[in-house]
Amino acid sequence: MHVSPVREPLINGEKSYSDITNDVMAPIKAKPGKLWFAGLTISSILMLVGFAMIGYTIWFGIGTWGVNRTIGWGWSITNFVWWVGIGHAGTFISAILLLFRQKWRTSINRAAEAMTIFAVMCAGLFPLIHMGRLPLGFFIFPYPNTRELWVNFNSPLLWDVFAISTYLLVSLLFWYMGLIPDLGTIRDRMKTLWKKKVYNFLSFGWQGSARHWQRHESMSLILAGLAAPLVLSVHTIVSFDFATSVIPGWHTTIFPPYFVSGAVFSGFAMVLTLMIVTRRALNLQQYITVGHVESMNKVIIATGSIVGIAYITELFMAWYSGVEYERYAFMNRALGPYAWAYWIMMTCNVISPQLLWIKKLRRNLTFTFILSIFINIGMWFERFVIVVTSLHRDYLPSSWSMYKPTFVEVAIYLGTFGLFFTLFFIFIRVFPVIAIAEVKSVARSSARKFLGKPTQKQKPEKQ
Amino acid sequence: MEKQNIPEPVPFKFGNKLKIYLGIAAGIGLIALLIAVFFQQLPSERIWANLWMNALMFVFLGLGALFFWTVNTLGESTWQINIQRIMESMGLTIPFAIIFFIAAFPGLKDLFEWTHTEHLDDLLQKKTGYLNLPFWMLRFAFYFALWSFFAIYLRKMSVKNDFEPQEKYLARLRATSGWFIVFFAITSSTAAWDWLMSIDAHWFSTLYGWYIFSGMFVSALAVIIIIAAAFKHFGILPNVNSEHLHDLGKYLFGFSIFWAYLWLSQFLLIWYSNIPEETIYFVERTKNFGTLFYVNVIVNFLFPFLALMTRGAKRQPLYLAIVAIIVLFGHYLDLYLAIMPGAVGHENTSIGLLEIGLPLFYLAAFMALFFTFFEKAKPVPANHPYFIESSSYENI
Amino acid sequence: MGAIVYGHFTDELDLLNAVKELKNKKIHIADVRTPFPVHGLDTALKYPRSHLPKIAFAAGLIGGSLGLLFQIWVFTKGWPLNFGGKPYLSIPSFIPVTFELTVLFAAFAMGIAFLLRSNLGPGKIPNILDDDVTNDHFQVILAAKNNNLSEIELAEALEAAGAIDVKQVNATT
Repeated sequence: MHVSPVREPLINGEKSYSDITNDVMAPIKAKPGKLWFAGLTISSILMLVGFAMIGYTIWFGIGTWGVNRTIGWGWSITNFVWWVGIGHAGTFISAILLLFRQKWRTSINRAAEAMTIFAVMCAGLFPLIHMGRLPLGFFIFPYPNTRELWVNFNSPLLWDVFAISTYLLVSLLFWYMGLIPDLGTIRDRMKTLWKKKVYNFLSFGWQGSARHWQRHESMSLILAGLAAPLVLSVHTIVSFDFATSVIPGWHTTIFPPYFVSGAVFSGFAMVLTLMIVTRRALNLQQYITVGHVESMNKVIIATGSIVGIAYITELFMAWYSGVEYERYAFMNRALGPYAWAYWIMMTCNVISPQLLWIKKLRRNLTFTFILSIFINIGMWFERFVIVVTSLHRDYLPSSWSMYKPTFVEVAIYLGTFGLFFTLFFIFIRVFPVIAIAEVKSVARSSARKFLGKPTQKQKPEKQ
Repeated sequence: MEKQNIPEPVPFKFGNKLKIYLGIAAGIGLIALLIAVFFQQLPSERIWANLWMNALMFVFLGLGALFFWTVNTLGESTWQINIQRIMESMGLTIPFAIIFFIAAFPGLKDLFEWTHTEHLDDLLQKKTGYLNLPFWMLRFAFYFALWSFFAIYLRKMSVKNDFEPQEKYLARLRATSGWFIVFFAITSSTAAWDWLMSIDAHWFSTLYGWYIFSGMFVSALAVIIIIAAAFKHFGILPNVNSEHLHDLGKYLFGFSIFWAYLWLSQFLLIWYSNIPEETIYFVERTKNFGTLFYVNVIVNFLFPFLALMTRGAKRQPLYLAIVAIIVLFGHYLDLYLAIMPGAVGHENTSIGLLEIGLPLFYLAAFMALFFTFFEKAKPVPANHPYFIESSSYENI
Repeated sequence: MGAIVYGHFTDELDLLNAVKELKNKKIHIADVRTPFPVHGLDTALKYPRSHLPKIAFAAGLIGGSLGLLFQIWVFTKGWPLNFGGKPYLSIPSFIPVTFELTVLFAAFAMGIAFLLRSNLGPGKIPNILDDDVTNDHFQVILAAKNNNLSEIELAEALEAAGAIDVKQVNATT
């Protein structure tokens, strides 16, 4: 397959196939450093604090939170939507970018997918806690019971149960199926017997047969085809939680595609935040290049601008509809008591990504890192604005209220960060952060200089 | 792969035979219109609505193609280079759409309720800040000025690269594509509100602009497929291979699903919330246009979904072209359902000679313009740095 | 499987040429092992296209229809529930769950079918002849029992095709 010489290489430096194996495997082989232990300790402590606060909530009840009868969904649902959104980048990268034949995907898909899975796990916690009785959480699944009662399939909240569980399972499947060949690679490089055995178990007996590869590629393509609409469906259904209601600010038809775009937007921001640090810490700069960061920044600017257009469309339609409740809801967002949240959202999500139109900034790692954190904050506030601002002034002025989170809610939120990073820290030491086989398959065409054995039979490229 | 291995396309000649065919088609369309006006004495709003609908479809094809081209340019994509000249030439038809719109202008009063400024109800009075003729006309002029500028300028840069390949033309092409996408993202929505949503002036839906955009994109894709398959068949573009068709087929498949997704999102949310001022739109369509309402979903979603699922289906030029024709018809129907219930009302609508004959005129005009522009440049941008890539890739 | 002969290549383009050469000599190739999916290898080996997509389609159809029928049953027979005054049988609100189940069934059927078909699974012991096939070597394996040639002739054919490090073993599997 011909690749035009004007394209930017995807792998910097002079690499052979075994260099790729060794570079990616280095963190798995090496003894973890002090920084890694420090990171793991801090995040596990955070996680434990979070779990303790979940226990506290279950013991004393939701009354320990700041939510009240007007604002029934506070931080918990804000965090839920935020984490689910972050969990969209991985499968977007590995599924949709695979369908669009974006080769730069190969260096970042593995880590992004892992991140997706961890983020969805964090997200799934919140509705479960919010239901109040965690041990009865299984009530959300339809199972034959003595009450002869089934779940309400007409409720968007139940659609969400199906969407999130399917998404988690299919993402796990997709991720793991892609990992199998790389786990085989690790197995064959391991010296210690027990490690070899563990990786042998995990690699499902992979031996790289041509037939297996052929089926593996066919499966990946179909899984990508299935995962692509699945990614769209998940945040669509999350948006249905709001949009099927009759609450001004929630009920608007643009919500499904706009939520999806916002999710990919925040997901890519999180991938950038993590990968800019990880590539440095694990010495993978030559695989996750500035070019990769630029490509991700382009996705950010596209999705961020779609989100911006959706904000403006909502605002305009609120006026155009002529419905006084709609008009008030949006006036209240921009000028009411929670206006600060609205303007944080607007600045971080709509204005700041526009800076990425400048090529220099797109390729600047420090700037990108800072911007990605801004976007993460902005997208959190977007959900806060949607959840809290729309609820706090309902149709009955007598029930208007304000919402302030308590320490418990904040601690649970921080706890999910602990969970997320604990899993991520373990992941980078146990599994290859970069899809080894996939990077090898683009190495010949897209490395800056490929150190394979030069062959006589290959014709020189025409310049 | 060397450039020499790629089959060289013959410069296209817009021959007399083709001109005669198109002339006949245009003639049939005109006769249908004349019969409808003078002999059938159809209600005026039905005639204006048909002129309006066809003008919209006309501009949608050009816009969708221009969008597809610019998005691919921005994404530094490769595969489309071989069929890029089809999209460029389709985009160049945009300025001519103005004529067809202006031809329907005398009927604006018949089409748009909000133009009757003398007796507007309370709700419409609230909207006069946006829905008033001067501002509407200004927006109309602005959209066309902008779109036409981009279509012409982008084509110019692309053709310049044929004669003296320079990085600066390609850089300009990329940068201008970016600007176009930005403007298009806004104007595609606002134009859909202006020209379609405001027919049902009381009704509103935030998704509407994107929904219309998805239909526009699929229609343009269908036309690109039909032309690419035909050009391959008649040897005008021998370099179009089954990989290109496969990719086009995937786009048609994927974006038909995307269209259905937006259709469902809009319908489901309005159906579920059950707010009367919103449901009225769908009540009117399910009650009085029941069959067409369901046919719309079947032809535009279920049919391409099943027909294009397999790999072989997307690589078979004739089969793919037939599917594309049916989908194009489906999106014509979608536009019909967007316009007729509001502009004409179910008592006065039916599908007759006018609805079947008139599109032929517009189609012939579109194709004649397309061939004229296609003739003017080389059939492929062979100097594009991604050209060899575009001819040597394979789908998995 | 009896005696087998295998040789290595360090470059996938050499491998592709060698496979074509062996195929032209009508030598049956038992297996080719590569560290990553080599583009065009399956066509060079004349493998038919995989049938896995059909399984995904069938399973998706089953999952989707089961999901839809179950929801219809619950709301017409099992426990009809009034929500917002809508009819009990409201297909639009069954679409999301039906869709999710379609994807779930199709994806997992696909994954399981892949593992079964390729005889892979947790704890399976691979028959690795050389550790480098998962790193940077491309291995062609010829089995004596599938060919009319002797092991030595097979080894010669491999070497003629450019293979290095050609070995013979009496494999048990």
